[in-house]
Amino acid sequence: MSTTPLARRPLSCLKASLRQARQHKLLTRPMATEATQRTTTPPPPPRRPLEHNFFPLTDRKTKALRSAFAVYPSTTVAGKQALRPPPANVLQSLHEAQMKRMDPTGARTALFAKTREAAKVGDVLLVTHRRGGEPFAGVCLSIRRRGVDTAVLLRNHLARVGVEMWFKVYNKNVAGIEIVKRRAKRARRARLTYMRQPKHDMGSVADLVFAWKRSRKVFSTGKPAAAAKAAKGAKGAKAAAGAKKK
Amino acid sequence: MAPRLPARCWRQLALRPSSTATPTTLPRASLLPTTTTTTTSSSPAHHPLLPYTQSRTVKSGWSTLPSRAKPHRFNQVTSGLPAPTAGPAAALKRKERSTPVRAGVLAVKKGMTVFMGRTGARIPCTVLQLDRVQTVLNKTRSKHGYWAVQVGMGERQAGNVTAPLLGYYEAKGIAPKEALAEFRVRDERGLLPVGVQLLPDWFHIGQRVDVRSNSRGMGFAGGMKRHGFAGQEASHGNSKNHRTIGSAGPSQGSGSRVLPGKKMPGRMGNQRVTIQNLPVLMVDNELGIVVVKGCVAGHKGAVVKIQDACKKDPPPDEFIEKTRKLIEERFPEAEAHLQAARERHLELKEARREKRIAELMAQGMKPTEEQADAIEQIIAASAREDTAERAPAEF
Repeated sequence: MSTTPLARRPLSCLKASLRQARQHKLLTRPMATEATQRTTTPPPPPRRPLEHNFFPLTDRKTKALRSAFAVYPSTTVAGKQALRPPPANVLQSLHEAQMKRMDPTGARTALFAKTREAAKVGDVLLVTHRRGGEPFAGVCLSIRRRGVDTAVLLRNHLARVGVEMWFKVYNKNVAGIEIVKRRAKRARRARLTYMRQPKHDMGSVADLVFAWKRSRKVFSTGKPAAAAKAAKGAKGAKAAAGAKKK
Repeated sequence: MAPRLPARCWRQLALRPSSTATPTTLPRASLLPTTTTTTTSSSPAHHPLLPYTQSRTVKSGWSTLPSRAKPHRFNQVTSGLPAPTAGPAAALKRKERSTPVRAGVLAVKKGMTVFMGRTGARIPCTVLQLDRVQTVLNKTRSKHGYWAVQVGMGERQAGNVTAPLLGYYEAKGIAPKEALAEFRVRDERGLLPVGVQLLPDWFHIGQRVDVRSNSRGMGFAGGMKRHGFAGQEASHGNSKNHRTIGSAGPSQGSGSRVLPGKKMPGRMGNQRVTIQNLPVLMVDNELGIVVVKGCVAGHKGAVVKIQDACKKDPPPDEFIEKTRKLIEERFPEAEAHLQAARERHLELKEARREKRIAELMAQGMKPTEEQADAIEQIIAASAREDTAERAPAEF
């Protein structure tokens, strides 16, 4: 049983020929793919026609149509009609949200609202600060209304020196604001800067505060709850801001 | 030319009658189309394994040049030299760390307010609103030379847009935007699908951002206001020179000239100002706002660019991944829409060239007959497939 080497290994010649064809190796299509049937990819689902308008460009003189471009609606976003402009009055809604958070009862908002009962420039106010120290009283020179950043400027004399302080109405450090004395007549200016002049300066408001405290003691029966009740019944606006303090 | 089996091989195979009936060759022959099998049997020069067409071209890698002449890493004039430190590639590499990973957004400065804390803290902040922010274009290293994302904001009437830009938006499938801006990103991972909307949750609370905008224009301002010069004294013989800048430089001996860059009166403001590393205090999709701590250059209504701070670490990978997923979930059809818009653009472009645009306008938005036919065919094909799928299931 002696067979020729070629008959024993009939494919041995392939090696030499394929070596010649090395460059073609990658380009030739293998038999396996030729035999298999091509799998047909499922056709893409029919697209909805794009929604757009045309914007015509016309000749200036003859008004004839020169060209036109497709202009998509301003709501178009990635195949959907879901693009909406954001709300315009963002700052206002931000302010309202914060004011609600910082002043849940609405007392501070009411105290500096533009109403008859609210505090006005020219009134003498007493601010109690949470960070300790004496409560600061003074005549209100101006009210800066900026939503949650609303502030009041108070002027007083301490040791015969004029002192002015700004207080942020909605700040947590401001424990309470009370009206000590209302101005007899409505001020005809929004900012009473003229009260810094010696001619118009009110001087110290210590005596006014002292009188106010004494009157409160007269009204009250000595118990804090009754005092609060009495104050509320007598002067609503006065109690509004002070209620939290008591 | 396709290589062939040497004649000595097939001649011997053909001589042996049993080799043709071997099970290895038969099924192969049966798999081929009938025409091929006949040719193989008649002319054994074509082997079924090898292609019939000649495919040796320059494209296939074939060349008559000696192998050493092929451009190779080692036979270049620059081989062995260090990489150049100048040039586009080197510049990109150099700026890699200071380029943000993600794109930014365009916004409108709405104004300033404060954040009141529970413990009495008061933080001044700026409210920036994102008005219909959409991605418009991806810029790539290969095509444009750098990686960037072009982003558009707001809405602009088509009548206020030039014709070339109308065509640009037409091809993108989006409405004309009020403002366009580009955000450089570090690499291709920063690119975004085109046409998707970026919402404020693109940023997270506490992260640092850089905010760029043009400052308020002050008009023509003097040296005191513009550069903080001290001015001159009010008296002591001074005459009509109280706010002037004084001397513009030394005289003869120093060249009798004004040195370049001398600070002088001129237009002040309306320049690009970048405020770096502003912390994000609040993010709200409903209101469309991003609130950043501190102030931002420009007037109310100014267009600002917000992007991750380049001098801080990028946001955590999980967050970046989350924002990407959100975009994919919100706009799954972005790619299909873009493709459809591109096709429509090409169609309209052709129509414009051939002066057929009036007809198309008259047709309105109804699909053409060809399109309708194609759609019907597709629907029919899918219906047929459904029935074909059902049939074997019944057996």
